[in-house]
Amino acid sequence: MINLAGRDILHGWGKFVFTGLGLGLLIGVTLSMAGIYRGLVDDGRVLLQNGGADLWVVQRDTLGPYAEPSSVRDDAYRGLLGIRGVAAAGNVTYLTMQIQHQRGEVRVMLVGFEPGHPGEPGYLVAGRPITRAHYEAIADLRSGLKLGERIRIRRHEYTVVGLTRRMVSSGGDPMIFVPLKDAQEVQFLKDNDALLNERARTAANPAFNRPGVPGLLEAVQASQASSHNVNVVMLRLAPQADETVVAREIRRWKHLEAYTRSDMDEILVAKLIATSARQIFMFLVILSIVSAAIVAFIIYTMTLNKVREIAVLKLIGARNRTIAAMILQQALGLGAIGFIVGKTAATLWAPIFPKYVLLLPGDAVLGAILVLAISALASIVAIRAALRVDPATAIGG
Amino acid sequence: MGHPAIEISGLTKRYGVGEAAVDALKGVDMVVQPGEVVGLIGPSGSGKSTLLKCLGAVIEPTAGRMALAGETIYDHGWKVADLRALRRDRIGFVFQAPYLIPFLDVTDNVAVLPMLAGVSNAKARERAREMLAALDVGHRAQAQVPQLSGGEQQRVAIARALVNQAPIILADEPTAPLDSERALTVIRILNEMAQRFGTAIIVVTHDEKIIPTFRRIYHIRDGRTYEEAGEARAA
Repeated sequence: MINLAGRDILHGWGKFVFTGLGLGLLIGVTLSMAGIYRGLVDDGRVLLQNGGADLWVVQRDTLGPYAEPSSVRDDAYRGLLGIRGVAAAGNVTYLTMQIQHQRGEVRVMLVGFEPGHPGEPGYLVAGRPITRAHYEAIADLRSGLKLGERIRIRRHEYTVVGLTRRMVSSGGDPMIFVPLKDAQEVQFLKDNDALLNERARTAANPAFNRPGVPGLLEAVQASQASSHNVNVVMLRLAPQADETVVAREIRRWKHLEAYTRSDMDEILVAKLIATSARQIFMFLVILSIVSAAIVAFIIYTMTLNKVREIAVLKLIGARNRTIAAMILQQALGLGAIGFIVGKTAATLWAPIFPKYVLLLPGDAVLGAILVLAISALASIVAIRAALRVDPATAIGG
Repeated sequence: MGHPAIEISGLTKRYGVGEAAVDALKGVDMVVQPGEVVGLIGPSGSGKSTLLKCLGAVIEPTAGRMALAGETIYDHGWKVADLRALRRDRIGFVFQAPYLIPFLDVTDNVAVLPMLAGVSNAKARERAREMLAALDVGHRAQAQVPQLSGGEQQRVAIARALVNQAPIILADEPTAPLDSERALTVIRILNEMAQRFGTAIIVVTHDEKIIPTFRRIYHIRDGRTYEEAGEARAA
């Protein structure tokens, strides 16, 4: 038997292909939404992997440092290093901010770290590690910064000495790594006017400016102008150490919260990006319904345009299943064209997105199956209409 | 002598029920022998199309008996099981407009019928080409439908009706869109095919030009048929 669907498609291929293109762009948007969700999850996981930590020690009763603010004294690492199984510790600060550079401004996550300790960038793609104590930076490629470029962060200028890749915050902002002391200053120190103002206020406070206690006022003022806090202490454990045991020890004896990698994964994926994920899921559902409606409408319209031909085919003895197969094959053909166009479009435009879009092959296979299933479901209305066509309508009167 | 190609007695068709019921056919009798081309003439609303649809096994009569090529199709409420196969194998249709399938070429428009009957594509196309050649449109076998003239399209439609060697062809105003010359050509072709294949052909028409070409005519009026022989018309 002739493939009626194929012949019909070839006969009106222009209309069919353009319809498939339109549908494909919609499918491309749907695949991109799935890719954005995957990118969000991957950004979170990369954030955990790249620090090289096994445990994250944060302020008690917080979900820090990514999901909630956390403040830990920067000498806490000494006590943590004394716990059995801890091989290395590194103080790390995080601060999301807007920075200016030569071609504009960019939103970044400023990371303060100690070179050689957990929390440093996992690898460099260009340049060198930070070797000076101050005013050098390593930037993620997505920040748009170049090697040797000078950027102003608050009161100081930093030179970009190294570039790294896929070092982004859970929100997708590229990271800029600077020495811990610089980052603490950026995060906790006030500007000169605020310092002068604060000093005047402290001096006017008789509790701190007592004539009989020399040096008290200076000590209080010095404490106001410096910071010894970090957001997290990252720990690397010895090979044989059990992370849950070490975490339990820290909670018990150090009055701090300690999260394992799986805990952090749960916090990032299930809590931090949960709302975004639900938002994207809703978009996916709506786009799937819209795609189904479009396929159904197109196939229904194409079928109504062939009522006379269908009546003739039925009159000359075509079985209902022959007619239904023709419509189903056309719907599947439209879905297949739409998927190919959509996958190609999503692949082409993914790098243009400001945030990471991760298109997984498994998602593409699932998407193809869903598109074909939706196309098949969408053809039901048209098939019902075709099967209701009375062969008698081919005969006049 | 063999069976008549078409044999109808007391055929009735009622649409609707109760007071709204309309009797479209009120006891139609008709006999058409193989190789005969018969005209069916009547004003609008006389029941022509209803009779054609009953003959074409598209609608079921309310009562009466109908036999095609000796096989009883309807008999007072009883009907043959597979009307679709009956239409495919025993009845050819030619419509007022050719109603060719626009997305198939000329050969496949004809070949689709044997293909539906389970004949292989190659064999069906071979039969289609033979039939197209018999109707003098063999040279357009590879053409697309829109490339054909109205007359050529109607020949292709006739080829489609004949390709399964159906013993009966029902032609519903086949010459309506054609000028006199082409209309007479179509009737000549139908007569030739009837002679050549022994096909019984019923032609429903209003076309005054072609009415004189029929040897027998059935007039239908108010759901009843009246036979008029050629001799009577000559008189």
